[in-house]
Order: sequence, then structure tokens, then C-alpha cells
Amino acid sequence: MEIKESLKLKEKEYIEKLDNGMTVIIIPKPELDKKYVIWGTHFGSIDNRFIMPNSGEEVFIPDGVAHFLEHKMFEQPNGTNSLDTLMALGLDANAYTTNDHTAYLFECTDHFYEGLDELMDYVQHPYFTDENVEKEKGIIAQEIKMYDDEPGWRLYMNAMDCMYKKNPIKIDIAGSVESISKITPDVLYKCYNTFYNPSNMIMVVCGNFNPEEILGEIKKRLLPHEQQGEIKRIYPDKEKEINKPYIEMEMEVSLPLFAIGFKDIEDNSNKEELVKKHIAIEILLNMIIGKSSDEYKELYEKGMLLAEPDMDYEFSDEYAHIVISGQSNNPDKVKEKVEEAINNFIENGLDDEHFNRIRKKVYGDYVVEYNNVGNIARMFLSDKMKGINSFDYIEKYNEVTKEYTETVLKNVFKKDNMVMSVIKGKK
Amino acid sequence: MNYIKKEVKQGISLHNINTNKFKTNLYAVFLATPLNRENVTKNALLTAVLRRGTKNIKSQDLISKKLEEMYGASFDCGIEKTGDNQIIKFYLETINEAFLPEKDELDKKCIELLFDIILNPLVENDGFKPEYVESEKEKLKQIIEGKIDNKRAYSFERCIEEMFKNEPYGLYKFGYVEDLDKITPQNLYEHYQELIKKCKIDIFVSGNLKENDMNSLIENNAEIKRLEARAPEYIENKENSDKIPVRKENIVEEKMQVGQGNLVIGLSSNSQIENEKFVMSVYNAILGGGANSKLFQNVREKNSLAYTAGSTFRRQKNTIFIRCGIEIENYQKALDTIKEQIEDIKNGKFTEDDIENAKKLIIASVKGISSEQDTEITYYYGQELSDTFTTIEDYVTKINNVTKENIEEVAKEIWINTVYFLRD
Repeated sequence: MEIKESLKLKEKEYIEKLDNGMTVIIIPKPELDKKYVIWGTHFGSIDNRFIMPNSGEEVFIPDGVAHFLEHKMFEQPNGTNSLDTLMALGLDANAYTTNDHTAYLFECTDHFYEGLDELMDYVQHPYFTDENVEKEKGIIAQEIKMYDDEPGWRLYMNAMDCMYKKNPIKIDIAGSVESISKITPDVLYKCYNTFYNPSNMIMVVCGNFNPEEILGEIKKRLLPHEQQGEIKRIYPDKEKEINKPYIEMEMEVSLPLFAIGFKDIEDNSNKEELVKKHIAIEILLNMIIGKSSDEYKELYEKGMLLAEPDMDYEFSDEYAHIVISGQSNNPDKVKEKVEEAINNFIENGLDDEHFNRIRKKVYGDYVVEYNNVGNIARMFLSDKMKGINSFDYIEKYNEVTKEYTETVLKNVFKKDNMVMSVIKGKK
Repeated sequence: MNYIKKEVKQGISLHNINTNKFKTNLYAVFLATPLNRENVTKNALLTAVLRRGTKNIKSQDLISKKLEEMYGASFDCGIEKTGDNQIIKFYLETINEAFLPEKDELDKKCIELLFDIILNPLVENDGFKPEYVESEKEKLKQIIEGKIDNKRAYSFERCIEEMFKNEPYGLYKFGYVEDLDKITPQNLYEHYQELIKKCKIDIFVSGNLKENDMNSLIENNAEIKRLEARAPEYIENKENSDKIPVRKENIVEEKMQVGQGNLVIGLSSNSQIENEKFVMSVYNAILGGGANSKLFQNVREKNSLAYTAGSTFRRQKNTIFIRCGIEIENYQKALDTIKEQIEDIKNGKFTEDDIENAKKLIIASVKGISSEQDTEITYYYGQELSDTFTTIEDYVTKINNVTKENIEEVAKEIWINTVYFLRD
């Protein structure tokens, strides 16, 4: 096993690539009572067109299949549901689908190995029938409607619509009531057989484990599998331009919601560079509109912001963008202030005291991530899916200098790549 | 046990939770005061005004700068409704000094800053700074009006409001827009002084506390020294609930532009059984606690009526709330299915397996309490406010001791108090 150690965090990571191509990551936390395991496949809502490695067949699937598949994995031939079985053991079990991966997980204090039996059994045994697929459509339709009523989700999807003309990030993770109506057991099996091959999967465990022992337990529960060739995923070509700078929608909200986006069109294929860039962007976002910034102070005092906006840099190989979102009675003014701060920093450079102070804050934010088994495991999984090692955020921290951050500012926070999505209340 | 309580002065206690599980130290200060219409809005506003500035650090951006300098220590404050008390909560979380890239006296700085914010506010002309009060009034108004934005939370809040009409627990924790007008910087400051004199004060410190002598840092803090002993005014949470005469369910329907209907049902209990809260807790888990519960199985899995279907037990009020997001036209079918589940439990139609599953679910979450710093603090604070102190170990034992007979006995005393439905 490969061992990585973070001296600053006083944490260790054990990594093993198994013969069948699956990656296992173990983060021992002997001081904790809780244990967490998460098993992810590199298959998310953006993977809607691909070539099956074994047959060479090109498959084009309806929106929402990855998420639908996640729901259906729990169903067993004997009529039981694995989620129920796990919960009956007193485990906190769940699953989720993102843009680029699907994950199955549970957290517990006791009965870990019984839980692992069930988790590894159901993820390796799909069971889809016409009848059980039909039944799920009703449940998922309700889930889609729940999201449709959420202003925050609509706001985000509209921001994606502004930034991208054709990009699978625009696909709703759950699909639409119309698209899921086309899902059949055959589509599900094709996706399962392609993406749930161990070579496309990563498992992360965190808690009081002996690395060798838990690795052995995992191997024991894996079914024999041929390593398959590479899955060729087909995505639309990347566009340099944004789709449109502004979008507005009316919903039942008391106060307008805004999302300001910056589309990042740089080449992000060097992952170590990408970590540095991510750190720099987090520092910049805090400097631009974070709690101690002049802009935030002014907007807050004028009652135009109620709280610090959410700030995020999201990326995969297919997309990269920044989203700043919050609620304001004057979204235009917020946008104006953000632009003002960026221009000011570009013209005058970053202030030393301000930069160093925010750098300290960002360091603290990374350390706090290591407080809980679930957080740690999800972070390592999601970073690994993107080809990143989570420890690098602490290790590369010192390389993010003021000069480097200024370069990132000029390259990423460009006016031409800026968009805004607004949700307004009904009149 | 890693938990030690110490009285600083009458009505003011210091609680230590010594743990090596985290990279952080967490400080929490809770002020408890009886919930009532007269003060609920003032308390919500007060919390917001206090974080705007102190005599030493006069504005919010300066506080933020100080926190950033302390490796992004995070300060937060808020309002909670716990039984019939309104709790004003302050938290400060900081990295444990062991994980800093260079040495710094973070603990000392945290304690100074926290009590400076709570006990040393910026005062002008015998009142809070007028600008701060005005701007926070405007924001609080937006928060109160923003209640409608999240339809699920709104429906839950509305059901509680209907069920506890004219009672403290029916009050909205952030207060009321129409009460804001009457608040001035002066009368708010007067209210603050009264509150600080009379409320119950609990100070929690959680983390690896070996490095520094936290208790002496806190007890020697100038602001703490100035506080006077008090017979604190607060409402103790009791084991059993008061009996309410059973009446026909109150049905409330509200219309809004929504695609999905939100159904919330409030259940009351008139049981006076010993260890009622533990029995209710198991009852709730059987009814709607998780994926094995009757609601999840029957409303969601068997009838595909909902994506979310479950129930929540509000311990301090001995009340259960059932919550479902459903297709609007399925209202009657969902309601019938839910009522059937309640009847089934009443008639003993549940198995030993159901009980075992329910207990496992509860015990797993109880055993997980010490894995989260704020959850562990909340647990001990809950004990502090109630008439009995239950350790985490005793809690597990009491859950394990619940029998099928106990559950049936309680089930017979449970009745549907309020049905709330948000639709288009």
C-alpha cells in the first residue's frame, strides 16, 4: 500500500490499487467511534453519451439515468430493499448522485462488517425489472418536483444555462419527468455494466481501522471481475464563450436570489496546478466579497446583503466555474461591487496584510474539514474522482504566493466570462 | 465521563467536555429565558445587534478581521426554541493550537473575544448604536418574511404555530414584523441589561483542554467577574407532558404557488407513563424514523405517494410531527394511509423486529453524539435544561428497556392534533 502522510494535519492516508483496477483509500482515525465507508463510481449526470468498452456500442441515454440507477440499486431480487436492511442494523445509510459521480455509503458506530456485507452485496447485484423501474418513476417524479420548487436550485441551474451553451452540466441531475419516463431496465443494465466495473470505482473508508485488515475484508467481498478497457465518454466540444450574460426568473420568494458566475476557460489538466489555483481562488473570493471586505461591509450596512454570500469554485474535466450566490434586494448593486473590487485588485495589486490574513483563514478552513469521518471520506472520494489528493490542499498551501494569486485573478475573474442569474419574487 | 460541570456563580455554570477527537476547540455560551410574545422579537434582534460591535472592537468588519487573523476562527450566534424557553446561542470555533503552522495563543484570544461580544456591547446614549439597531431591524424583517421561501420548513413551522396557538411554543423564534416598530436602541438596551441580570447562563468548552487552563481563563475574565449571581428565570423541561383534552383534529389548508403539496401532521400524547420520552422516541422511530418505518414503507415504497415521508419527535414538547411531500391530488390517499399506520400501532400491529430496528436507529444516533462537537454540547445542554440528568450510557439503557407493552400504552394516548396542508 502506498502511504501518504500530512505532518501538519497529523493524518495518514493508505492507498491501494487492486488487481481489478479498483482504488481503495483508507484514512485511519483511531480516536473516533464513528466509522464511514463510501463506494463511488465515476458516473454522474454529465455522462450521457459513451462507448461501451466490451461491445464498442455507442450509447446515448436519457437525462437522469445515473440518479435513477442509484435509486434502483437498493432493490433486491428477494423483494427486500438494502437501504432498509442497512437501517435495520442501525446504520445511517444513504446514496447520492452528482455531476461526475454516484456514491453509496453508510456511517455507524457498531455492526460495521455486517453493513459492509450488505453494501458490497447490493452494489454488485443489480436487479431491474419492468415493474420495479415503473414504480420508481413515481417516486423520482416527486423528487424532481421538490427541486423544481426550490428557488436555490433553479437559480443555480439558470446560472449554468448562462455560462454554457452545450455542456452536460446543464442537465438536471435527476432528469425531467419526461426524460425519466424513457428509462428501461435495458438502459440501466447497459450503464451498470459499463460504469460499475471495479476499474471505474473508488472506495474510501475512514474510522478506527487497521489498514491491512480492512483492505483484506474489502478484497474478500469483491466478486471476480475482468478489468475492462477504458470507457470512452463523449461530450460536446468546449466553448470559450458564455451563452448569455443574464437571466431572470420569477418564483415565490420574499427577497431576490442572485448567483454571479465566472466561467473558467483555462486548461486545468495539470491537477497539482489546479489545487494551487483552487486555493488562490478561495483566497480571492474571500478578499472580494468575504465578511471582512469593504464591499461586503458596504452592502451589509445598506441592507443589500443579509449574510456572506456562498462562494464556490466547481470543476471537472468538462467544466470549471465560480459561483457567488446569496439573497439581496438589489442584485445589480452586488454585481457592481464585485466588479469594482476585482478591478481595484487588478489595478492596484493585492494588499499584503489583507492577503496574509485571508491566507491564514483559508488554512484554518482546510484543517476544520478533518473533524468528522463522513466529511473526510466524501472529500477524498470527490477529490480523487477529479484526480486530486485532498492532502495537497495543505501541502501546496505555501506555494500560493501573492504574486501567483494575482495571476489567477487576472486569468479567471474576467468581465467577458461573468454572468448573473436572478430569481425575483412574483409581483 | 469526559464531562464536568462547575458552578461559577449561582445561575452561571461552566461545562467542560474533554475530548481528543477533533482538530478544533469549540466554545458555546447559552442564555436561556422564558419564551413569550413580548420578548421574542427583541431577543432575536438583540442577538443580531450584539455581533455588530463591542466597546473594544467597534464594527463587524473589525470582528471579522480579528477572526480571520485567528486562522479563520468562526463566530456564530443564533436563536433557538427549546421547549418553552428561548435560547440565545453564541459559538466560537477555533483550530486547536496543536495544528497551527506557528505558535499562537488562540484559546486566550477566543475567550476574550467571545465575552467581549456578549457582555461588552457598543453603547451610545444609554442605548445600542442606532445605526446597528436600524439595519438589523431591516434584516430581521427580511428573515421573518423569508419564512415562505423554503416550503418544507415553512409548512413545518406553520403546523407548529397552529398546534400551539396562544402558547409560547407556537411563537416563531425570530419574532414578528409588527413588533419591530416599537423597538428602540434604548428599550432594547434596557431589555438586554435585564436579560443578562436574570437569564440562565451556561458556558461550554469542548476540545483537547490539556494545553491551557480554560477554566481559569474564563473565571478570571473581567466580563465574567462582573456578572452577578442570580436565581435564573427559565422553564425546566419535564418528563411528562401536560394532558390536553382530546378533540377532533384541526385541519388547516393554505394555498401558495407550489408544484408539490406539503403535508404536516402534529400528534399529541396524553400519556403519563414513566420514561415517556424514551417510549415516545421508540414509537416515533417505528412510525417514521427511517427507511424501515411504517410511513416510509407504506407512503413512499408501497404506494409511491411521496419522496419524503417520515416523522420527527420534539422531545421537549412530547410531540411528533409527520412530514410528507406529495402530489396535491393524492392528499386524501396519503392522509388515509398515514392514519392507517397510526391505527396499526395502536392496535399492536407491529413486530419485535420493528421495535429492534427502531431501537438500533436511536441507539446508533445516541452513540454518535460524542463524534460531533456541537451535538455533544447540545446533548449536555438539553440535560441541563431538563428536570433529570441522563448520561449517554443511561440513555441507551432506557431505550433498550422500552417494551412492546409500553409502546402500545403510549400509542393509545396519542391523537392527531393538527393536519396542515400546503397546496396550490
